[in-house]
Amino acid sequence: MTSAFLLALLLAAPDRPVIDLSGGRVQPLPLAIAPPAGAQEAGVAIQAVLAQDFERSGLFRLLDPASFLAAPGEGLTVIDFPKWQAVGAQALVKTSCEESGTDVVCDMRLYDVARGQELLHGTYTAPRQAGRLAAHRFGDDVVRFFTREAGVFQTRIAYVREGDGDKQIVVSDWDGYAPQQLTTASINLLPAWTPDGKVIAFTSFRDGGGAHLYTVDAVTRQVRSLALMGDFTTGASYSPDGSRLLFSASQNDNTDVWLAKTDGSGPRRITDSRGIDISASWSPDGKRVAFVSDRAGTPQIYSMAADGSEVRRLTFQGNYNQEPAWSPKGDLIAFSGRDEHRVFDVYTLAVDTGKLTRLTQNQGTNEKPAWAPNGRYLLFSSTRGGKRQIWLVLPDGSNPRQVTSEKVGAADPAWGPLPGR
Amino acid sequence: MPAVPAVALALLLHVVIFAAALVLPRLFDRAPPLRKPIIAHMVALGRPRDPKLLPRKESPPPASAASAAPPVPSTRTAPPSAPQRREPSRQEMMDRALARAAGKATPESQEPPDPERAGSAAGSAQGTAASAEEGDAYFTAVHDAILEQYVVPSVISERERLYLAASVLAYIGPDGRILKHEIQKKSGNAFFDQALELAIQKAKLPPPPPDLARSLRDSGVVLNFRP
Repeated sequence: MTSAFLLALLLAAPDRPVIDLSGGRVQPLPLAIAPPAGAQEAGVAIQAVLAQDFERSGLFRLLDPASFLAAPGEGLTVIDFPKWQAVGAQALVKTSCEESGTDVVCDMRLYDVARGQELLHGTYTAPRQAGRLAAHRFGDDVVRFFTREAGVFQTRIAYVREGDGDKQIVVSDWDGYAPQQLTTASINLLPAWTPDGKVIAFTSFRDGGGAHLYTVDAVTRQVRSLALMGDFTTGASYSPDGSRLLFSASQNDNTDVWLAKTDGSGPRRITDSRGIDISASWSPDGKRVAFVSDRAGTPQIYSMAADGSEVRRLTFQGNYNQEPAWSPKGDLIAFSGRDEHRVFDVYTLAVDTGKLTRLTQNQGTNEKPAWAPNGRYLLFSSTRGGKRQIWLVLPDGSNPRQVTSEKVGAADPAWGPLPGR
Repeated sequence: MPAVPAVALALLLHVVIFAAALVLPRLFDRAPPLRKPIIAHMVALGRPRDPKLLPRKESPPPASAASAAPPVPSTRTAPPSAPQRREPSRQEMMDRALARAAGKATPESQEPPDPERAGSAAGSAQGTAASAEEGDAYFTAVHDAILEQYVVPSVISERERLYLAASVLAYIGPDGRILKHEIQKKSGNAFFDQALELAIQKAKLPPPPPDLARSLRDSGVVLNFRP
C-alpha cells in the first residue's frame, strides 16, 4: 500500500498551465541616432531629415541625444554597445558625411544594439542642395530592412492649396517640404496621380462651363483637358495598371460613375442608379471599385466589379459616408463619415469583415483620406489646428503629424507612387 | 529461523520499490500535461451603442473606479459624465483589484465613467472587456502583468505579425519573482524575441496562491506569445 502510494506520487506529474499572450502594445522601436561624424554641416542637416522621417514613420521612437552615454567621438565601427543599451536603444544609426565637389557622400549604418551586430551599411550620394535625398534613401532602406516593405520617404504628395478665392494643385515631398504649385488659375480640386507619378488629373472650373477633368504634368506643369462631359465631370481615379480611368459625370440630371481609357477616350457609364454615384476608388488589383451612392436614401459606401456588376453595399452605420479610398494592401477602405454630432471624421472599413474603426474624434473636421502607396499611412485634411491642413496618421489613427503649413488652408491630399514605378 | 527469509523478502521488496522509483520516472519522463486556464476580464462600464451609429474610438477606463458592480450585461443607462483624470495602467488596476480582494482597499472616490464609453451599464468602471466569464484569477493576474510589459515593436510588419509565435517556459517563485525562464521556441525575428524577453524581465507578478506555488516553482508555466 505504502509502495503503491509512493509510486503514484512519483509518477504523477502536475499540470503545466499554458497562458496565451497576444495583443501586446505595438510601440515604436527605441532608436538612437548618434552624432554625425565627418562634415558637420552636411551631417547635421541630413540627420535632421533622417530623424524627422523616422519619427513620422511611427516605426521608431527617437532617443534624446542629451541622454547618450557613448563618447561623442565614437567611431562608425568601434562601438560601445553597452552604453547604447544603457540608454534604452535597441537600434542605433551612425552616419558620416563628406562633401565631394557638388555632392555630399554619406556612410550610413544601422546596428542591433542588443546583439552588437551591423544590420545595414551603405554609401549614399546626393547633390549638396538636395542632401535630403540621401537621408530619405537610407531611411527607406532601414524601413525595408525591418518591415520588408517599401518606405515612402522618397515619395511625393499632391494637394489643393486654398487661396483667397482660388484653389491650386500643389505637389511636395511626403513631409510637406518644397511645395510647388502646378496650376495658376481658377478653382482646381481632387488631384489624382497616374501610377507612374508623371501626371496629375484634377477637377477644374477653369473653362467657365462647369467642372471638368484636366491633367497637369508634374514636371513641366503643362495642363491638358481630359474629360469634358456635360457640365459636371469630376473625381478622376486611375486604375493601378494605368490603363483605365474612372470618374463621375452628370448627364440628364443623373450623376453616375464612368469608365474610360487613360486619355479619357471611350467613356461608358458603369452605374445606372437614379441616385448620385460618385467618388470611385480602385481596389489594388483593379478588379473592383469602391464608390459612394445615395441610392438607398443616404450617401453610403458601395463596391462593384470594374464593369459595374456585382454591386454591394459596404457601410450600414451612420447616415453620411463619403470619399472612399481603397488601401494598396486591399484589406481596408478608408472613408469620411458624419457622426451623430454632425462632424466628419475618418474611419476604416475592413473589406472582409465589415468592421469599422474610427481614426479621428473630437479634433475638428477630418475628411478626404488618401493612402500611402505602401498602405502604412493615411493623409487627410483636418481643421484640428484651426486652419484646414493636411495631416498624416497611421492606419489605426495614431501618431498624427501635420504635413502642410499653408497660409489659408490645404485640402484633398493624394499620395504619389513609390519611386521607380 | 522463519524471520530471516521474511526480512530478506521485505528488504528485496523495498530495493525493488526504490529502484522502480528511480527508473520508472525516467521511462515515463515527459512534459507535464498542459492545462489552459481561462483568462477573464471585467466587462467595461458604459452605455450600449446604437449599432446604426458610426463607432467611437475605444475609451480607456476612468482614473478612479465607481463602486464594484457584477459583470453582467444590462440595458440600463449609465450615469452622467465627469472630467477624466489620468488613466491608470493595467498594473495599477490589477494592484487595486488584488488589494480589494485582500481587504486592503482604500475608499475610492465615486467618479462616474465617460458616458460615451461603449460597454454594459452593469459592468465595472475598471472593466477592460466587452464580455467576460468566470476565470482563473491568478493566471489572469499573471496574464495581465506580462501583457502590461508586452510591447511589440512596430517595425514588425502586420504581415509578419500574422506568423510570429514564440514559447517561453517560466518558473515562478513563491514571492512572484520569475526564477528563470527558457525560450522553448524562438519566433525567428530577433526583435520580437527581444520584446518578449523584456516583457518577462519587467513583469511584476503577484505571489501564487499556496495550491499553485509548488507546481509553478518546479514545473513552471508555458507562455505562448503572439503579437
